[in-house]
Amino acid sequence: MSEAAAIVRPNRTWVRLRYATPKIFATLFALLLAAVWIGPLALMVITSIKPNSEFLNGPFAWPIAPTLEPYRKVWQGLNFGVLMENSLIYAAAGSALAVGLALVPAFALSRFEPPGKRYIFALLLTGLMLPQQTVLIPLYDILRWLHLFDTRIGLILVHGVYGMPSQILILRGFMTTIPRDIEKAAQIEGATDFQIFTKVILPLAIPGIVVGYTLNFIAIWKEFVFALVFLNSEAIFPVTVGMLKLNSDRYISAFNLPSAGLVISQIPIAILFILAYRRISSGNFVGSVKG
Amino acid sequence: MAAGMNDERTSFIAFARNHIFVTLFGLILPVALFLAFIGCPIVYTIYLSFFEWNGMAPAKTFVGFANYAYMLGDKYFYISLENNLKWLAVSLAFPVVLGFLIAYAMRVRAVYLPTLLRTVIFFPVTMSLVAVGLMFLLILNPIFGAFDSVLRGMGLGFLVREWFGDYRIAIYTLAVVGGWAFTGLPMIFYFAGIGDVPKETFDAARIEGAGHFRMMLRVALPQLRPVTAVVVMLTLFESLKAFDLIAVMTKGAPFGRTDVLGYLVYLESFWNSRFGYGATVSVAILVLSIAVAALLLGTLLRGAFDV
Repeated sequence: MSEAAAIVRPNRTWVRLRYATPKIFATLFALLLAAVWIGPLALMVITSIKPNSEFLNGPFAWPIAPTLEPYRKVWQGLNFGVLMENSLIYAAAGSALAVGLALVPAFALSRFEPPGKRYIFALLLTGLMLPQQTVLIPLYDILRWLHLFDTRIGLILVHGVYGMPSQILILRGFMTTIPRDIEKAAQIEGATDFQIFTKVILPLAIPGIVVGYTLNFIAIWKEFVFALVFLNSEAIFPVTVGMLKLNSDRYISAFNLPSAGLVISQIPIAILFILAYRRISSGNFVGSVKG
Repeated sequence: MAAGMNDERTSFIAFARNHIFVTLFGLILPVALFLAFIGCPIVYTIYLSFFEWNGMAPAKTFVGFANYAYMLGDKYFYISLENNLKWLAVSLAFPVVLGFLIAYAMRVRAVYLPTLLRTVIFFPVTMSLVAVGLMFLLILNPIFGAFDSVLRGMGLGFLVREWFGDYRIAIYTLAVVGGWAFTGLPMIFYFAGIGDVPKETFDAARIEGAGHFRMMLRVALPQLRPVTAVVVMLTLFESLKAFDLIAVMTKGAPFGRTDVLGYLVYLESFWNSRFGYGATVSVAILVLSIAVAALLLGTLLRGAFDV
């Protein structure tokens, strides 16, 4: 009996190994892939702490006398303190504006069937998909007309309005998942839309708001075209525009300086990424875009 | 038709009466902002494309279709258009397909350490393209670059090229760098999408003896049409936007061979002070994106955006 069983069912470890082998190969391939993605970043970090003298040892030489001198030089040379402050203002205020504008529309589109709903969705998708370059010239003109060209407020306003469509979709997606039992009860007790919105929906939507805000924050931190065109004064440049200087002979002749610069530019987002990673990378926000 | 419009109008008024707060801040305000900052600019761009204007002078000169005629004879317009298409082709072939494969492999647990892979590939999505561009300028540097020394180290030295200097491949270099930074996005979309497919569907297919290839093609992809719709649209507009990398890495060099339409608009308007012509190229981008989007949504991806 036991012998027969042994014949029918081969050794367990063997089976497990047989099933594991393709997975191990796949994993090796995946690790190779991961190396292509992490390699450049790791290389930048390593390069950024090398002193000038080690530059000629080749890109992969391990730093012998690691130094933070490149960071100091680049921080002062590019005035990174100011750049960071500006980017922080744009990202924080622009995202707040975008989310703030999107909250009631998201509520409206998740809880009501207003006539013409599909037109509003069509508008939202247009706003979402519109290539920035097609509105660059008019926006430039509008901002000058409003005397907001080359001002922080102007750029924040543009970021807020252009962030709004995606925020409406993200928040709407989140709000549709909030069960309606509580607001039904509130409705029976005679609560108005405004009360339901502020007392029921808003508190429950906070996780969605956090995700939306974070995504928008990152988007504005990355943004380049609007800032490049709508700002002129170096004092209010965000990091992305200020960083362009790194691509000049003064900085790029030794790789440690631009490397240090781009590591600095990425640090705030890296921190945010670590804090918010679970929420963002699960892709839960994706469902909202599908409508 | 008119009756339908009327119906909609009366029912809208009825709705507005019952839900003033929602109508005001939830519908009218966003639509008004949309019209002011997104709608009007589009119309204004079209208007401007019929004028000659240096951006400063108070008067704009009406020139009719002269800008359009000029565009159709402009060598750089065609180079840019071609480059946009090349960029789109690379983006569909590399980040989108790879993103799907990775998402699938993670969802069916075909690899160990899926979280590590996902994190690493998603991270560049959060990077500014200016930083990505700078980074690859260093890595692909013809003298001190790491990439060439990796190739030489693997005995593939014959593949080394002037990645930015050779006008035949510069645009592909840029598109691949863009793809490196973009892969995480389709991956996350597909990752979420495959997660929504009922597990039983995959199990059933597996019991019937389907291999991974057939599972992807016959089970996963048909179920993922809405996701594919979103991803393809995103990719399309990402490639039409392609701007940041070019501004950082090549500025259109060599000889305007890496211009794309978006960069041409910027160049003509804000460097050559030909705002009218810049607007004309903008209109071309607009028409192109609407046409491709309509084509995609109308045929390939019908019903994917139903609300």
